Amino acid sequence: MVSVVDYVPYILEGVLWTLGLVGGGLLIGFIVGLPSAIAQVYGHRFLKIMVEVYAWFFRSVPLLVLLFLFYWGIFPALGFKLDPLTCSILVLGIRSGAYQSQIFRGAITSVGEGQYIAARTLGMSKMRAIYHIVLPQALRISIPGWANEYAIILKDSAICFTLGVMEILTRTRYVVMATLEPLIPYFIAGALFIVLTYSGTKILNTIYDKLKIPGLIWRM
Amino acid sequence: MEDVESMVEDEIVLKVEDLYKSYNNVIVLKGISFEVRRGETKIICGPSGSGKSTLLRCINLLTKPDKGMIWLEGEELTTRSININKVRQKIGFVFQEFNLFNHLTALRNVSIGLEVVKKMKREEAYKRAMEVLRKVGLEEHAHKYPAELSGGQKQRVAIARALAMNPSIILYDEPTSALDPQLIGEVLEVMKALAREKVTSIVVTHEMGFAQSVGDEMLFMYDGKIIERGPPEEVIHNPKTEIAKKFFERIQELYGREKR
Repeated sequence: MVSVVDYVPYILEGVLWTLGLVGGGLLIGFIVGLPSAIAQVYGHRFLKIMVEVYAWFFRSVPLLVLLFLFYWGIFPALGFKLDPLTCSILVLGIRSGAYQSQIFRGAITSVGEGQYIAARTLGMSKMRAIYHIVLPQALRISIPGWANEYAIILKDSAICFTLGVMEILTRTRYVVMATLEPLIPYFIAGALFIVLTYSGTKILNTIYDKLKIPGLIWRM
Repeated sequence: MEDVESMVEDEIVLKVEDLYKSYNNVIVLKGISFEVRRGETKIICGPSGSGKSTLLRCINLLTKPDKGMIWLEGEELTTRSININKVRQKIGFVFQEFNLFNHLTALRNVSIGLEVVKKMKREEAYKRAMEVLRKVGLEEHAHKYPAELSGGQKQRVAIARALAMNPSIILYDEPTSALDPQLIGEVLEVMKALAREKVTSIVVTHEMGFAQSVGDEMLFMYDGKIIERGPPEEVIHNPKTEIAKKFFERIQELYGREKR
C-alpha cells in the first residue's frame, strides 16, 4: 500500500509546470493580444481584417485540436522540433492572444473616443495618445477580464497532458496508473486547481482595487 | 508703443477661405470664409446641423475639408505636407463633453500636454499647470480626479488644459451645453476673463449674454453657410434674415432674457 505522503510531492511539483504553462501562455497572449486589439480599434482596414481572422480562427478551433495541429503538423512542417512544453506554451499563448485581444478591444472601446481626440487636439501623435491616455485606462479596465482569462487558461492547461507535459494532471495520471487508486490522486489534482484559480483571481482583483481611479465607476 | 500694439492687434491669426465639407453626400459646409484677428473673440451660432461643430473640427484638422483653405498665422494648414501634430499644439480645443483624461488628476490633465508634446520637465510642467489652474480658480482642486469634480469644474480644467499649451487660438465647441444651468456661470466667467485678456478664440455658443459682453463679431450659420455677420448686438437684435430672427426669438424663449 502506497501512502499519500509518498506521491503528493511528485504531484505538487506539477504545480510549477502548470504555472509555467499559464504564465508563459498569458505573457505570450498579452504580447500578441494587446497590439492586436490596438490594431483592431485604430489600425487600417487590412490590419483589422487580419486580426479578426486570427481571433476568429483561434477561438473556433478546440484547444486539443490546436495542440495536435501545431505539435504534430505545423511546427514539424516548418522544420521546428519543439519539446512538448515549449509547443504547449506557444499554442496556449497564441490562442490566449486571440481571447485577450477581445478583452483589450472591449476595454479600449469603453475608454471612449472623446479622450483620444482630446489628446490628439493637444498635438499628441496617434501612438502617444494611445500610450499616455488610452492604454493606462484600458489596461485597468481589462483586469477583471484578464483574471477570467487566467482562470480559463489555468484549467485549459490540463489538456497539455496529451503531449506529456509534466503538469499536474500528467503526474496525477502516472500516480493513478502506479497505485491503481484513482480517487485521492484526482481529488488532490482538483484541489490544486481550485487553490490556484482562487489565489490567482484574488491577487488580480486586489490589484484591480488598488488601481481604481478615485470617484470613477466604469461601465462595461 | 501704441502703434506696435495696434499692429499686433490687427494681425490675422486665422483665415478660412471658401471651405467645403460633406459627409456621405450631405454637404455640411458650403463655402465658409472668415478671418480672426489677434485678441478677437469670434462667436458662432446657428441652429443645430448648420455645420458649426464641423467647421471647428475642420480648423484643427480633426476632419479634412474637401475644398478651401485654412491659414494659421500665415501657415497654410490645408496642404498635404502639413505636420498635423505641430499645428494642433497651436490650436486649443474645448469640447462640449469636457473629455478630460479620467485617470489623471486635474493637475496632470493640464500638464501632460506640456510633458509629452512640449517636452517640458515634469516640475516645470507642474508649475505652469498650477499657474493656469489658479487662473481658472481651481488651485485647491489640482489633485482631484475628474470624477471628483463638478461639471463646471471639469470644463474649467479643460479650458486650463487648452490654455496651458499657450495656443494661438482656442476653439470652444458649445462649452456650456452639457452643463447644469447653475454651473454655466462659473465657466462663462472664466471664458470672459480670458476674452478680456485678449486670448484669441472662436466660441460656438447659444449664450447670448456672453456673446454680447465679450464677442467682437458674430457669425450666424445656417445650412452650411454664414448668412449673417456683424457685432453680436446687431446680429441678435436686428437680424436681416427671417431664419436668424426666428432663431434668436426661440433662443430667448428657451434661455430667458437675463444676461449671464
